Amino acid sequence: MTLSSQATHWERTHFERSLRRVQQDVLRMGALVEQSFRLSHQCLFERDLDAAHKIIFLDKQIDQYYRQIELECATLMTLQAPVAQDLRLLSAFMQLVRDLERIGDYAQDLTEMAVKLVKYPPHRCLKEIEAMSNHAQLMLATSLVALADLDASAGEKVKRLDDAVDIAYERLYDTLAYQRDIQGVVEPILLLGLIIRHLERMADHCTNIAQRVSYIVTGHRN
Amino acid sequence: MAVVEFLLGLGVGIGLYLWQQYRFRYRLKRILDSFSPHADLVTSLSDISLVRREITYLHQQQQEIEQERQIWQELVAQAPIGYLRIDEENQLLWCNQEARQLLKIDRWQPGQVRLLLELVRSYELDRLIEQTRQSQQPQVQDWDFYFTQYVSTKPEQITSSKGGTTPYKSQPFAGKVQSVALTGYGFPLPKGQVGIFLLNRQPLVELSQSRDRALADLAHELRTPLTSIALVAENLVGRLENPERRWVEQMLRETNRLSKLVQEWLDLTQLQADPFESLQYQTVDLKELILSVCHILEPLAQKQEVTLFYPDRESVQLQADKSRLTQVFLNLLDNGIKHSPRQSQVLIKVTAPTPDSLLPQEQQKIIIDIIDSGTGFVASDLPHVFERLYRSDRSRTRQTSPSSSSAGGSGLGLAIVQQIVRAHGGSITAQNHPQTGGGWLQVILPVSQTEEF
Repeated sequence: MTLSSQATHWERTHFERSLRRVQQDVLRMGALVEQSFRLSHQCLFERDLDAAHKIIFLDKQIDQYYRQIELECATLMTLQAPVAQDLRLLSAFMQLVRDLERIGDYAQDLTEMAVKLVKYPPHRCLKEIEAMSNHAQLMLATSLVALADLDASAGEKVKRLDDAVDIAYERLYDTLAYQRDIQGVVEPILLLGLIIRHLERMADHCTNIAQRVSYIVTGHRN
Repeated sequence: MAVVEFLLGLGVGIGLYLWQQYRFRYRLKRILDSFSPHADLVTSLSDISLVRREITYLHQQQQEIEQERQIWQELVAQAPIGYLRIDEENQLLWCNQEARQLLKIDRWQPGQVRLLLELVRSYELDRLIEQTRQSQQPQVQDWDFYFTQYVSTKPEQITSSKGGTTPYKSQPFAGKVQSVALTGYGFPLPKGQVGIFLLNRQPLVELSQSRDRALADLAHELRTPLTSIALVAENLVGRLENPERRWVEQMLRETNRLSKLVQEWLDLTQLQADPFESLQYQTVDLKELILSVCHILEPLAQKQEVTLFYPDRESVQLQADKSRLTQVFLNLLDNGIKHSPRQSQVLIKVTAPTPDSLLPQEQQKIIIDIIDSGTGFVASDLPHVFERLYRSDRSRTRQTSPSSSSAGGSGLGLAIVQQIVRAHGGSITAQNHPQTGGGWLQVILPVSQTEEF
């Protein structure tokens, strides 16, 4: 079963067409958030500060989609009174776009920190943080693919991936927090601490998305 | 009596039969006429045979068309260019092998109809399709397509990622982001469908990158020997008498020119690679800066009998890299002087943002116009003046005259200017002044850098 096979009948009702439109918007928003995340990664680890400008524009679009999808979901739910999987789909969408929007916001925050961070020489933790960011992006991609495929096993799968990010967060936190004999200001360490925190939150939101996908299919929350 | 009734009945029956036959033939003729106007209707054959022949003929034709269609489909499927066909609801109807490879469409089987966004999460591609459909005009779009790996649903890969609790580093992270530079061509099709061709620009991008790298490496290798040649020549000049002295002097001039070119090339490469790193911002007074540049160029201007005309000297502060910005004005004014005839002037005009401007400070711009009194740019050169080593034929001939060889630019001047201005977040345009016809370079710089930099 896939997301689009939800509404493939010969006689399509108005509801099904509207549902299809919302699905497309959610996927579009997902693509934008993924792009934001990628830009923040480039900004942080490839020092591509142009990304900081691009992301502001992206964030506006993401916000627009967020509001639009939420409104459409609410309209469909009240006017069409869907049941069973359609209802789960819509209510999950309403929650899921919130998660997506948060990820986009965090990505924008990350670029702001990256711009502050360029002044300082690269920290030795940076490689590991980069791997963490890559991994969080992989989680986002996995949950978006799961959303497209309506994969019931996604929640569990992404949760397992999330464990890796949590462990990395703990370890990086320890490395940063218990560092001794620091030369100069603490800003870079402060920033790195915030960055790993943000990445960890982003990974959490990815897990939420995947779990909501599982909920759409099975109707069980885990 | 009975015989008469029988005959009458028979007559009516035969009459009806004949009339039916006539109607039937008439209809057959009409069908034949309407379906194959060009067919040769052999009158010796019966109508039924004609229809049969016509049907066979049409069937044959249909098979030929079908064959032709299959050949085309096969060709497009194997084409070295990606092709996608999207229906009016943004569902993927069909795509060829190359498109699947370029866009990494790995969850789709031919015959399956799915939303394109489910398979390819590319906002740019989505926009291209939407624009093509709305405008009903062919559209072209360049973008970098990034592909983030995901954990597949296939069972064997689930097991591979099972080690969620194992240490982070031993995880098989394939999370590297791959990217490919694409050019998409959208064509509107009937019924709201859209056809997309995808061209892979990645080899081209890589080629131009490797070319730039190779040239930078070469320039780097040339720098040291050139410096030592120049040193040796300088030493020789002091010890030689004419005519040998003159030769060595010329050699020294040319060597210096060459090492300047090499240095500028390296500068340019560095600016391009790392535009933000290589700048050091400070508050600069533009008036002071321009006056100091004018002072440096005064000897050259006097030699050429050109005046640098800087009328409204208003003090304007901006955030910039002072030495780089000096280089910008040196290059621009130097160019202006060289291209102006004797007893003429180069105009420098600075337009500061009005103090009561409502725009926030980081959006305020300073406009600097530099207009010379020469003959201006050749129209066909205008799109290329900022390219590295680009020279119009006119200055190429000037270059060969030995007397001005040291004054001749390296061909990198404007390229450097453009890189520096861009690194500052500004822009530069070249045109000919509508009134004087001279070369007109307009630099637009932001007053302050966004505090992020």
